[in-house]
Amino acid sequence: MKNFGEINAALRQKNHKNYTLLVLCNFVSVLLITAYVSIMRSPTVLMILPEGGDSRKQAMMIFALAVVGCGAFSTYAASLFFRYKSRETGIFMALGASRKQICKQLFRELSAISIGSCAAGALLGTPLAWCVWQLFRLLVVDTQEMALSFDPHAYLIAAAFSLYTIVSLFIMGTRFVKRTNIIDIVNEQRKSEPIRDVKPWFGPIGIVLIIAGGFGGYMAPHAYMKLFSAYAPAWINIFYFPLIVGLYMVLLHTVIRGWGKGKNRYKNIIARSMMKFQGRQTVNNMLVITVLIAGAYFAAFYTPMTSSGMLQIIDQRPVDYAFRYREDQNMLTQSDIEKMASEKGVAITDWRDADTAILGRDGKSEVNDGNGKFHYEYNKLNSEGNYISQSNYNKMTGQNINIEPGKFAMVLSDETSGSDMDQGFTSLLTNMTTQKTLSVSFQKNLHYNMMASSNFIHYFVLNDADYATIAESLKNEWYEKMVCFNVKNVMQTYDFSKELYNSIIDHSGPECEIPEYYDRVGKITANGAGEAYWGDTSSLSKINYNDRGSSQFKQSWKYAPQFRVLDKNDLISTYAVYLMLFVFISVICFAAVLVIGYTRCLTIALNNHQVYDDLRHLGATPKYLHNSVRGQISKVFGIPGFIGTLLMFVFYVMILYFNDNSITSSEAVGLRSCLYVIIGMSAVIWGFYRVTLHKVCGMLNVKSFKEMTTENNAG
Amino acid sequence: MLQVKDLHKSYKTGKTIYEVLKGVDLSVAQGEFVAVMGPSGSGKTTLLNCISCYIPFDGGQITLGGQELKDLTEDSLAKVRNKKLGFVFQDFMLLDGLSVLDNILLPRIIGGDTSKVMEQRGNELCEMFGISQIKNKYPAEISGGEKQRTAVARALINEPLMILADEPTGNLDSKSSRAVISSFEEARNKLSATIFMVTHDSFAASFCDRVIILKDGAVYCTLEKKRGEERGVFQDKLLSAIKEMSGELA
Repeated sequence: MKNFGEINAALRQKNHKNYTLLVLCNFVSVLLITAYVSIMRSPTVLMILPEGGDSRKQAMMIFALAVVGCGAFSTYAASLFFRYKSRETGIFMALGASRKQICKQLFRELSAISIGSCAAGALLGTPLAWCVWQLFRLLVVDTQEMALSFDPHAYLIAAAFSLYTIVSLFIMGTRFVKRTNIIDIVNEQRKSEPIRDVKPWFGPIGIVLIIAGGFGGYMAPHAYMKLFSAYAPAWINIFYFPLIVGLYMVLLHTVIRGWGKGKNRYKNIIARSMMKFQGRQTVNNMLVITVLIAGAYFAAFYTPMTSSGMLQIIDQRPVDYAFRYREDQNMLTQSDIEKMASEKGVAITDWRDADTAILGRDGKSEVNDGNGKFHYEYNKLNSEGNYISQSNYNKMTGQNINIEPGKFAMVLSDETSGSDMDQGFTSLLTNMTTQKTLSVSFQKNLHYNMMASSNFIHYFVLNDADYATIAESLKNEWYEKMVCFNVKNVMQTYDFSKELYNSIIDHSGPECEIPEYYDRVGKITANGAGEAYWGDTSSLSKINYNDRGSSQFKQSWKYAPQFRVLDKNDLISTYAVYLMLFVFISVICFAAVLVIGYTRCLTIALNNHQVYDDLRHLGATPKYLHNSVRGQISKVFGIPGFIGTLLMFVFYVMILYFNDNSITSSEAVGLRSCLYVIIGMSAVIWGFYRVTLHKVCGMLNVKSFKEMTTENNAG
Repeated sequence: MLQVKDLHKSYKTGKTIYEVLKGVDLSVAQGEFVAVMGPSGSGKTTLLNCISCYIPFDGGQITLGGQELKDLTEDSLAKVRNKKLGFVFQDFMLLDGLSVLDNILLPRIIGGDTSKVMEQRGNELCEMFGISQIKNKYPAEISGGEKQRTAVARALINEPLMILADEPTGNLDSKSSRAVISSFEEARNKLSATIFMVTHDSFAASFCDRVIILKDGAVYCTLEKKRGEERGVFQDKLLSAIKEMSGELA
């Protein structure tokens, strides 16, 4: 004979769909978070993402969004489960089951569900991450640095998320069994949410809050730094909060009131009213989907923005080959290079070279006070700069410029306006050998991409006489040679470029084994003040000639050459880990979006079966029923999809614009690539929406358009 | 058997408080078949839910078999519901995942009984209410009348002091309604069951020994069927009383 446990087992079997839904939701949440964190904490990725760098912060920010999204999703799945359980629990209680009996059974079930699904998700998360990463290596790019390794500490974060999922399920379970009003428990399943009035101003005010939050959140750290001369603390991100509130208000307005003024309110009355009576659930889900879509696009835009922008910059270089070296190095000569080229069948044209002097510049530098605050300090020897004479500049660039005595010009890239770059900051130059100084002032900006490819190495042009005066008796170690040349059929010269790249490294001494941000003048100043120069102590400044194939070396070597064919061909492999990390993040976020949307749509089918039966009895045609289902399913995917996409695209444009108060042509090309990504991802979401619509129609016994058309044709 | 004294119950919706029961007094004797009638909103179902201990009440006293319900702990209340009360609901409240027989046995299983005797008792009840042939079917496979007879059998499985029925014929056609009422009569006659039924249906109520009519949360009047009085005559009396209460005879 059956006992209470067996009765529960029989009910579980009958209602396995509800159990499966909860198990799957928990499993997917933990799986995605574990996969994400496995990659995020992987030494492969951490080695590439500098600590405190923007890329790491961005990846962490999206991770936080994913955690919030998946957490909210698990909670939603649990609430659906308890909603389903309420009827049977209410009946048990009505027939005299004690709270103890119900607790025992319920908690036994919850233990099995939560521990089983979370453990499976946590165990399979890392293999999933590994599989996706290997797929990237197989299909997109494979470099030495792409070899994936995992940090066991990642499992701590995955375990913490699993624990949250389990604990929240048990807390909800405890609250569920604590209720005493049996009639409320029995009726829970068919209870509608009380509708809270959504005023007509919700939508417009929501839009204002979104704009204010987006703009305010972005600007707040800059404002904080300016106002308080201190680094912006983490809490400054609270200024983004109005964005979330605004988003919620806009979604509420969209779901409950709609935007169409004067539209026939009876047209979509069923779909709208059904969504309205589940307003909170619907909007909560939509908010999570919107935020995740925005996060997914933020990550997805990284690769096209980076690669297409860089490709354009490489294409726009005025010469095919350029490199620079310290003149105290035993570097390849012009004849060595021409010989190497001829052996490779490469014809060199337009050879140009010129000396540049590394001089000390005065200026103010930011000094960290150690308590989150900073101040600016003037130094006579603040940093180094590459100075070139006016005639050599004209020779190298083909331009014809004239610099007045006592003045200097700064060389910027074609895209940089330089309105606030360096004017007025330098007033004194120092010969680092003789300590002789020269007072100068800013004259103008010049544009030449080959002398403005780095954020750390700046070129300046001096009047010929001034250059000769200040560079007099300068030792070779403070001189650099800049070499530029073109080749015929540049894209056919990859082998030559590779060999030249290796030879340049082989001819460079250990004193040149430094990153681009290593400043020799800064080091002299620091050492002079009895301090250690950070570049000598920080692990960030360590690079090694043996890692010449690594992206870190290629990106940061102070004397990295600029070879069009090499840079173009190796672009993806140079940035492989960066690019693939963000593609991975995007894939995870999109996967979460699709799963959450799908689950939400299935619950529409599960909860509204009776409504559709009633509508059928009231004479609704298959077309009417189909339109009503479509009206709801399309909103679940469409509204968050539209808002999330628009929000992130506008936010991206804003970031790019406020970087230098303009959108450069390479940024415009990047944005165009982002639009292609949007089209691609929207197509995927649309395809998934169609599959979901078909599934939901099937569950509600509503015929799809295809079935209706087939029937009509047969008729 | 059952005594209700000065029962008060109110609901709060937003800032508004609705007083649904305003001091109800009534009593039901052992073996009686009593109906409660009244217009919508008169407090019938609330009264039943309070007696069932499904919802807490604000004031007054409910005594069942000499036991005061208000002071009981959660566990004791569960025992009262399990052993002393049987329930029949308008929408049957059968569990779809269990067979008819399992549904009938459920109160006993909840009470910890898994004996053969229990199964035997379940089969007897199936027999009594004419549902033996469907005892292995699931609720989704049987008619509304059969579902309600299953619910009546379930209510009787623990031989409770009293059966509480909330609109048991509300979702049924006349034939099925008649069968359910017959089940109650049979339970009363063969098993000496006490039945307390809330209903809108004057036909169903006319089978009762006594009908209590509620109006605005208080007992408006009580009609008792005289010994030997015909059911039809009693139903006419009921209808007249209801008309009088709603002012139609004035």
